[in-house]
Amino acid sequence: MDYKIYSAQDFPAYLPKLNLLYDELFSGGKGFRSYLVGLVSEPLQVDPQVQNLLGQTIEFIHNASLLHDDLVDRSHLRRGKKAAWLKYTPEYAVLAGDYLLARVMVNLSNHGNIRLVQYTSEIISDLLEGEWLQDSLVGDFFVKIEQLDRVHFLKTASLFKWCLRAPFIALNKYEAELHQILNELGSILGQLFQRSDDLLDFNIRNHEGKAILGDLKSGYLNSFGAFMTSEMNKAEINQFIKSQTLEVMKAIFSSDSANAETIFQKKVAAFDAINSNLIELYHHHLVTLESMLVGPEKKLIKNLSPLTEILYWRRKPQA
Amino acid sequence: MSATRFQTIKKSDPLFIQYLWGESQSGARPVPIETFNLGLPEETVTFEFLTRDQISKVNFLTFLSHFIKLNSFTLVLMPLFFVLTKNFVNDRYNDPFSIILAALSMILLYAGLNIRNDVVDHLSGFDRVNIAFYPKPILKGWITAKTASRISWTLMTGSFLISLPIFILQNELIRVVTGVILLIIMSQLVSKNSYKNTLLGEMTLFLLLGPALVAGYQVSMGAGIDTEVLSFGVLWGTASVFLIHINNFSHLVTSAQARIKNSMTNMGFDNAKKFIIFWWFLLLGMWIGFHWFFMPLLNTLLSTLILIGFSVPFLIQLKKIKSPLGSELRHLRKESVKIFVMIAFIFFVENLLSIGTKLNWTY
Repeated sequence: MDYKIYSAQDFPAYLPKLNLLYDELFSGGKGFRSYLVGLVSEPLQVDPQVQNLLGQTIEFIHNASLLHDDLVDRSHLRRGKKAAWLKYTPEYAVLAGDYLLARVMVNLSNHGNIRLVQYTSEIISDLLEGEWLQDSLVGDFFVKIEQLDRVHFLKTASLFKWCLRAPFIALNKYEAELHQILNELGSILGQLFQRSDDLLDFNIRNHEGKAILGDLKSGYLNSFGAFMTSEMNKAEINQFIKSQTLEVMKAIFSSDSANAETIFQKKVAAFDAINSNLIELYHHHLVTLESMLVGPEKKLIKNLSPLTEILYWRRKPQA
Repeated sequence: MSATRFQTIKKSDPLFIQYLWGESQSGARPVPIETFNLGLPEETVTFEFLTRDQISKVNFLTFLSHFIKLNSFTLVLMPLFFVLTKNFVNDRYNDPFSIILAALSMILLYAGLNIRNDVVDHLSGFDRVNIAFYPKPILKGWITAKTASRISWTLMTGSFLISLPIFILQNELIRVVTGVILLIIMSQLVSKNSYKNTLLGEMTLFLLLGPALVAGYQVSMGAGIDTEVLSFGVLWGTASVFLIHINNFSHLVTSAQARIKNSMTNMGFDNAKKFIIFWWFLLLGMWIGFHWFFMPLLNTLLSTLILIGFSVPFLIQLKKIKSPLGSELRHLRKESVKIFVMIAFIFFVENLLSIGTKLNWTY
């Protein structure tokens, strides 16, 4: 799976700075979503050209959301580089994002599968609803994890659902029951990915060196933050909000640093336990999915099974 | 943990309704954890099967208070107290036996209806898709929907049996109760989810918790329905629906996503906020009107000032809300409950004063 996601020739060269902006945007991404599209498409034997279209579609949507997201969050960095809205202008960042979404619609409608166009439009709507709701929660440090989940279902999980369902739709496979299961699997993967990403903010399994307490400092309480604050009193939450370093944050649990670390690790373990239940649910749905697949399609289960290891535990799946 | 801990079932599967009722062949308790396509033929629910050890422990009092919604009993007890006081003061205590039976009957009926409401919301899916602000006994696995349903029927049958002598002693009540039953049936037929989730449902609850309730009490007492009692009923019904609007507003996103229809989802976030303000001022207007006509001027002034004072933090809280999902919704609920409790408390004090005045006159 080596999809051609972005090529400067696909965009009009007469538009100033557009290709420069896209060059930088697409160069640092891991392309996990298009990889996921490939994991689903290959066992289904989706035509390579269609696979490429699907991979490109999801990466365009994802990158468009990043352009908008960085501006909404006023994030200065994206993939270690200056965010587009800062390097160019906020106007260019918005327009570049819009343009990517427009290209998605042009490309998909050229392909001609109206159900795919419709589903993709729905996912983009969900994504935007999620962004909107997330923005409305900035500065709310008393939000509950169940409420954040609703945002993540829209914002993060919708793209994962698309990766799982779109290859089937491209093959004109529309069985409601099948798509139901794929939806549930996508939702869980999105939720696990988001929660794992939220743990990075607290330096848990942060192998990629993501900035510590970045969400908190931008006024956003993420899922692990909400999990921890659910058992705190108002004074502790206020101290939590003001934390500039992990050490200061952990000191809320105990003045003794060793004890504070132990309590913090216990909270991480409790959070992991909740998410292990989700992982178990994911594998339950995989069993159901397997019963709906035939012949070589069954390889899909083998492809999807290790994803929880990668997405939540951030480790390579064991053989 | 066993591999069969979860099971995903479609609505068309006979096991679907069996599991929703909380019954399984293994003896483990099926608890719904995921619901998709609510209300559609392709609705699917994933159940988690919990053994007795896996179900969270709860003490009986906590369970009972959540099960019968003990803290909402003010809704039916305050109107009873008002009607009792009014008739005591006006020397219209024609039939104390009937009113005792009516009170007992209403308490059992209300507890039964509250449980029934949870059962209906569990089966229809309202409770399965919304974020709960307090523990739901059936969803927690503390009790099965089947057992809860049986208890609710038992309580409602008990209520009916207790009320039978009143129908004989005060046959005027038959007309009131017939009207109420017709209202409930009509709402159930029209609504898709539970009767509280449609526009008509809100109207029905207004009538049931307001005018119909006080009319029932009044007739049970052998006293005829009068303007004061009916006005109180309208005011109380409006106050009760105020709480319902706040509740629906705090579930706006999840309800809209599940295609549940009510005034709040019809209006959307911004208009719903304005409507809540309108409803509060409507309630305040009714309060002033009621007191103006039926209470001394001092009561009108004092109580209105107190309510205006309590409405300030409520309105500030409402204005502060910028997200249909955030924590501010919890604070808004608290503020609205405070206002409601204050309304009930003022009525309580006013009634006590009336009783005191009456006793001083007599003795």
